[in-house]
Order: sequence, then C-alpha cells, then structure tokens
Amino acid sequence: MSDTGDVIAARPSVGQRLENSIGPLLSLLVALAIALVAGGAIIIGYGESPAVVYGAILDFALTGDGPGYVLAIATPLIFSALAVAICFKAGMFNIGVEGQYLVAMVTATWAALNLGFLPGPAHVAVILLFAMIGGMIWAAVPGVLKVTTGAHEVVITIMMNGIAISFVNWAVNNPLKFTEAAAGTNVDLRSDRFPDTALIGDLGGLFGYRSAAKMSWLLILAIVVALIVWLLMKRLRLGYEARAVGSAPGSARAGGVSIGAVQIKLFLISGALAGFVGMQQLLADKGYLPGNYLAQLGFTGIAVAFLGQNNAIGIIFAAVLWGVLSRGESALQIRTDVPREFVIILQGILILAVVIVYQIAKRRLARRQLQRAGAEERALEAAAAVAAGTAATVSEPDNGTSDEANA
Amino acid sequence: MMDDHGAGRESAPPLVVLEKITKRFPGVVANEAVDLELRAGEVHALIGENGAGKSTLMQVLYGIYPPDEGRILMGGNEVRVTSPRVAITHGIGMVHQHFVLVDTFSVTENVILGEEGGRILDVGAGHEEVANLARRYGFTVRPSAVVEDLSVGEQQRVEILKALYRGAELLILDEPTAVLTPGESKELFENLRLLREAGKSIVFISHKLDEVLEIADRITVLRRGRVVGETTPARSSKAKLAEMMVGRPVLFRLDKPEVEPGEPVLRVEHLLGEGKLNGISLEVRAGEIVGIAGVDGNGQSELSEALIGLRQPTAGSILLDGDELAGRPVQDIRNAGVAYIPQDRHEQGLVLDMSLWENVVLGRHDDPAFSGAFGVLFIKKIRDLAERLIRKFDVRARSIAVKAGTLSGGNQQKLILARELETDPKLLIAAQPTRGLDVGAIEFVWRQILEQKAAGRAVLLISAELDEIYALSDRILTMYEGRITGEYAPDAAPEDVGVGMVGGAIVEEAS
Repeated sequence: MSDTGDVIAARPSVGQRLENSIGPLLSLLVALAIALVAGGAIIIGYGESPAVVYGAILDFALTGDGPGYVLAIATPLIFSALAVAICFKAGMFNIGVEGQYLVAMVTATWAALNLGFLPGPAHVAVILLFAMIGGMIWAAVPGVLKVTTGAHEVVITIMMNGIAISFVNWAVNNPLKFTEAAAGTNVDLRSDRFPDTALIGDLGGLFGYRSAAKMSWLLILAIVVALIVWLLMKRLRLGYEARAVGSAPGSARAGGVSIGAVQIKLFLISGALAGFVGMQQLLADKGYLPGNYLAQLGFTGIAVAFLGQNNAIGIIFAAVLWGVLSRGESALQIRTDVPREFVIILQGILILAVVIVYQIAKRRLARRQLQRAGAEERALEAAAAVAAGTAATVSEPDNGTSDEANA
Repeated sequence: MMDDHGAGRESAPPLVVLEKITKRFPGVVANEAVDLELRAGEVHALIGENGAGKSTLMQVLYGIYPPDEGRILMGGNEVRVTSPRVAITHGIGMVHQHFVLVDTFSVTENVILGEEGGRILDVGAGHEEVANLARRYGFTVRPSAVVEDLSVGEQQRVEILKALYRGAELLILDEPTAVLTPGESKELFENLRLLREAGKSIVFISHKLDEVLEIADRITVLRRGRVVGETTPARSSKAKLAEMMVGRPVLFRLDKPEVEPGEPVLRVEHLLGEGKLNGISLEVRAGEIVGIAGVDGNGQSELSEALIGLRQPTAGSILLDGDELAGRPVQDIRNAGVAYIPQDRHEQGLVLDMSLWENVVLGRHDDPAFSGAFGVLFIKKIRDLAERLIRKFDVRARSIAVKAGTLSGGNQQKLILARELETDPKLLIAAQPTRGLDVGAIEFVWRQILEQKAAGRAVLLISAELDEIYALSDRILTMYEGRITGEYAPDAAPEDVGVGMVGGAIVEEAS
C-alpha cells in the first residue's frame, strides 16, 4: 500500500457541474419514459397501438398550428406554476392560486370595462396592474394571517378559493353582468365584451399559426416574468432570504432574517403572479369574463411547478410539456378510440413517476456529493499535513500497524 | 489466525473477528484492510476523527454495507452479514446516534416491536420480560412509560434493551454519549459495566477521550480508514490517543493570553423569561472570557437566545456598552456588535442546502457592502469575501460553491467562526462551540476564542464541558435552573464548580 492510497484526486469540476445541472433534467426524462411505458400498457388495454396514439399526440402538438395551441395552453400555466413555486421556495404551500386568479379576473374585468378611455397599450397595462392587485389582495389574507396568528396557509387558501368562486359568480351576476342588447337570450351568463383596447394581440400569426390557436404576447410576458423570478431567487436579497427561510428557518432567523416579513412579501408576489393566470383567457381568448369559469389553472399550476421542480426555467419547459399532453386530448378524440381522459391519467402517472425518480436521483446525488466532499476534505487535510512538515509524525504510527499486520 | 494476534494476552477467544475489511465508496476508501477483534466481556473503544471510518466499519459489521474485501468471522467461522436482520440473528445489536423508536408507544411496545410472535399481543407478559431484562443490567426504566415522555438518556436505554431483547451478544454503540448529559453518561457507564460482567461484548464509538479511557478495556484507533494502532487505557493517555487520531500532537491546554480586562461590555440584569430564565445577572468585560458551566437544559440555550434576540425576555435588561438590547430584533443586535456561535450549528447556524459563499454572508446580507438598490446581491463581492475567509479560517473545501451540508462538523464550525468573527464584534456569544467536534477541530476553535480575548473583545462562553470552561475562562459562573448559582476563579477546584452546577450554593445576586 502506498501512502497516497487514501488521497483521491478530485474529479474535473466541469463533469460535476454537468451532473448537477443535468441531473434534474435527466430524472424528468426518465420519469417521462416511465409514464409513457405505463400509459402504453393502458393504450394496449384499449386495443390501440401506443405508437399510433403517441404519434397522434405528437403530431397534433408539433405540426401545423399545433405549437400555437400548445403554447397558448402553457402560457397561464407558467404564471400559475411560478406563483406556486415562489411560495414553495420559502417553505409555504400556496394552494390559493386558484382563488387568487379568479379574483384577479374580476378586478381586471372591471378595469377592462370601465377604463376604456385609455389608449390601447396603456389600457392593457392598467388591466394587468388591476389583475396583480386583485391577486395580491386575495393572497395577502392568508399571508398576513399565517404570520400574525400562525394559521396554516393551506387551510386558509383552500377556504379562500371557495369564497373566490362565489365572488366571481356574484360579480358576473351583479355589477359585471352583461348589458349588451345583442347578448340576448341564448347567451351564457358573462360580462360585456371588452373594448378592443383591452385585448392582447395575437403572437402566433408571426409564426404562421392561425389566430384560433390564441397564442398571444402573454407568452412573452410569461417568459420574461419567469426570468425575473429566476433572478429574484438567485440574485436578490429577498430570494436569498426566502431560500434560507425555506431550507433552514432557525438559521435564517439567527442570521437576522425576519421570517414573517419574508413570508408576507412572497405571498404578495405570489398573488401578483397569480393575477396573470386568468389573463390569457380574459384578454387573448374570450374578451369577456365568463360565468362558471372553472379551468382549475391554479391546481394544475401546482402539478406544473412540481414537474419543473420549482425552478423558474424548469417551469417553462414543464408547462410546455403539459401543453403538449393537454393538446393531445383533441388528438385522441379525432384520431383514436382512446378516451380523452387518458391524457389526465398520463399526466397523473407522470407526476407520480417524477416524485419517485426525482427522490431517488436526489438521494443518490446528495450521497455522492457528500462522499466526494469527504474525500476531498481528507485529501486537503493530508496535503496540509504534509505542507506543515508533519509528514514524519503521520507516517510513524502507519509503519507500526503495517508491521503488526505483517506479523 | 487468532493465535498470533491474541498472543500473550487474554485467553478468551474472540467473539467476532473482522479480517482485512475494505470498503470503498465512489471516490473514497472508507476502510482499508481493517483488522479488529472483539471479545466477550470487554468494552472495545473505536476512536478516530470524524470521517475516519468508524461508523462505516460498524455498518459493515451490522450488515448495512457489504464489505468490498475481507471477511467477518464469528467463533472461527466466516459469516455473511447481509442485512441488519441477519446481524441480529448472529447476536449483533446496534444503537444508532439517532434513535429509531415509536414515540407514542410504551417502552415495552417499542422493545418487542417486530418480535411480538403470535396474533394476540400480550403486553402484560411483555412488561414482565422487559422489567426482568432491565433489572438484570441495572436499567432504571419503567416498561409502561410512553417513549415521548422519556429523557434522551432513558430513550437510549430503551434502544439498548431492544438489542438485548433480540439476544445481542455484541452491542455496537455509535457515539452514545454525544446526546447525554454528564450525569446520564455516568449512568450509561454503570449499565455498560454490568453488561460487560454479564459477558457481553461492547463496541464503544466515541471521540471523547476521557470517556474512552474511563470505560474501555481495549482501544483501536482509526485514521483515514486504517487502523493506526491498538492500545489499552493503562498503556495510553489522552495526549497519546489524540496524537494517534489526528497524526500530530494536540494541545489540551492552550496558553491563555494575558489581557487586563477593560470596561464592562455586556451587562445582563435580572433577566426573566419563559422557559428557564429566572433572574439572570452577569457581566462580561472587554478582553475577558466568562464561562458559564452547567448541565444542559438549565437555561443556557434560553440565555444565549435571549442575548442574540431569538427569544424575548419578559423582564430585565441586556446592556451592550450601555445600550439596551432586550426586545430588539436579531438584526439590530447583530448590527450593534454581537456575534453568535449557536449551540446547534444546523438549526441556528448554517443553511446546509446553500453554498459556502451564501452561508458566509448570512446575517450581513443587507450590509451595503454586499447588497444594494432593489436588494441586488453583490455576488462577486460575497464570493471574494468567502474565498478570503475560507483561506483565513482554514475551512477545508474544494470550492466555495459546495453546499455547507457536505462539510464535516469541524469545517462547518470553522465556517461559522469565520462568518461571525469577521464582523469585528464587541461581544462574542459562544454556545457549546465545540459540541460534536473532534480533538483537532476543538483546538482550532479554542485558539480562535482565545484570540478574540487577546483582541480585547468580550466573550461569553456557554459550555456543558467543564474541560472547555477551564481551558478558556477567566471567570467561571455556574448555572442551574435558570439562575446563576456561583462565581469561581479559573483555578477553583472542579468539585467546587460542580456544587454550583447542581445549584448547591445560591449566591445573592450582586450587580
């Protein structure tokens, strides 16, 4: 045995860095593969060929106007997932994105209908501002109650969701109920149509997708907001404090971080982000506030945030993936005998697979990092000992044992 | 094979022989050709620094990891211990540092869990058996008590009973005293002596050398995965063991710098608060280290938390250079010049999930030097600070980008010291600053604390280790049940200080 036997050279850091960043992506792909295989078994159960069904889903998502539809579905989910993720980073579970965006749709509708005197872009900006404020008001309640009374945010936000649904119903029945004569009798309950200044322009046209796909400039806003959230988390004091609070609240507090202040701020930001969720529907798709609107984008956002592992950039990809699958519902109806609900099953399996694969990967990665760090620490320790000129005392007892062992 | 090893020593054949055990993890050799003999009726101490391979070796023996090379012999025959269940059938039991008990179950239910036998649970008979077992080895524990109501020491006894109930002849105790008060440790040692008399073989993993010298019959020292020597307490000493562990001489008594104490920096007056703050008054002067000795759980953590602002006192005052700190938020108190080494570096010190550079700035992240308008963090400056501090405080890590959780305990503590001392504080609160550290790291921490004194700072040292109190303090206060119960000179007899630690001499509060 040579003396250097226990000094292991550190691996190249480039490889490690690659491993750290590719790890989550790889586990997502593995999870997707597992979900597709399990889904394939179900498809066979329906007497269809998995290749045909998956082919149809991909075809619908990627060819023709497909990407336009997919991105239109992804747009609100990016906002929704970001709203969930930002609270999650600080160790809070905002189940209330659902209620927050519904309330925001009401406040935004008011601004759309009553502030039409503003010029186009300014009107849209003001509507978005009203949406943010609506979401923030609804998010402030659980945030403040959590910090001041310790009431759990999950319970409060679930209750606030119920109230929000009733609030939208009330609004669309009363102050915001349509007044247009043309609306007539055979029309679902809704608000008046918004003036053109309130609508967000089509973006899909630039790529040759037809306007029915409803891909709008909100997608650009979603991507910009995701980048801002990423910066907030990585580069700003608030994000730093939030991560510390989420990961080690005691150490954060001992480091002078006011946990309550951080939590309230994050809930407000989360609410503001939630405010954007309904805007695709309101300003790009319908152009009015529909009654009985139950798209459950807030809950889907939880799933997407999870798929994106609460990383702002990961969320963009996860939302697009979700969009591809959701768009696949139409493919199933038109091209196959598999019921459209299959997509929901597939999404469910995907989430389960991600839970399992990601946990396993995380544990393995953490263990490897720990072992590697241990080895490096020892190597550095040994190097320091040699540098300090204590090599003689180090080797002495070693010789003693090897003699003993040879005896 | 056993003849030449055991030559000239005891005639009892070894119960278990580990032969040339090698265990590698990716990038690490945790154990390299380790030989170890465990005999019935002896306490065998396994010592070494953190990461020396003690726990890995025992996990190989307990069937948690398969060895890459080498074999395990029991009674001369090779056995393959492929899982803890197999280990138990071979009479090997292990008590981990972190207990695995069902909190809401009774002692008996925990002990017989998994071994109930039959369909009908006869808890009454179980109580009887557990009581008998406990009596035989002098364990004071009530079989019907619910585990969550027990002290840590009692819970540990339940763990040992669990192993004995399963027929353990060999008991592996992984740093059993790390979680115990001195009193509880004494009681554990009594139990261990009875177990030894009953012919059990005990592996005692520790890096507390005084304890090892007190309880062990034989001592094996590991360093960097290899056995560097085997000895007995009679042939060894604390200094010799430490040198074997670390690979260089270690000083247990450092020279205290001569400093003329200056003006009082910290004055605590009649501090009252929830938990155990029952009217504490004390004073720490510049260039002075005041040590608070006491058994854990007598209000020390409440006191340190109140001083840094993590806990609101209900009455009394905390004056730093005459300014009132009581009731102010942590950030204010830190900004006023108080640095804090928490007793639990994971709970109140580091964010283990964050990188070293992110940890280095915690508590100073809103300093204009490190973050500016709109709360933008000056990452370059923070990283520069981290690079500098890691070199200055000799934190052994590959880069400042690794997560704090990947460092060893000693290096984590160095990181905290680096962060807290860099702020040039007026007062340093050091709560159990060397808890869980090995001898090399302890010496480093002690040197740093003495340097603070030499630099004219006030230091309040809170420690349950009397050795540490004596090694550093200029004045010793004892704390019991949330009160200061005595003041002693640094050369006072330990017996006298011990009286204060159990509340013996309540002194009138002098202001």
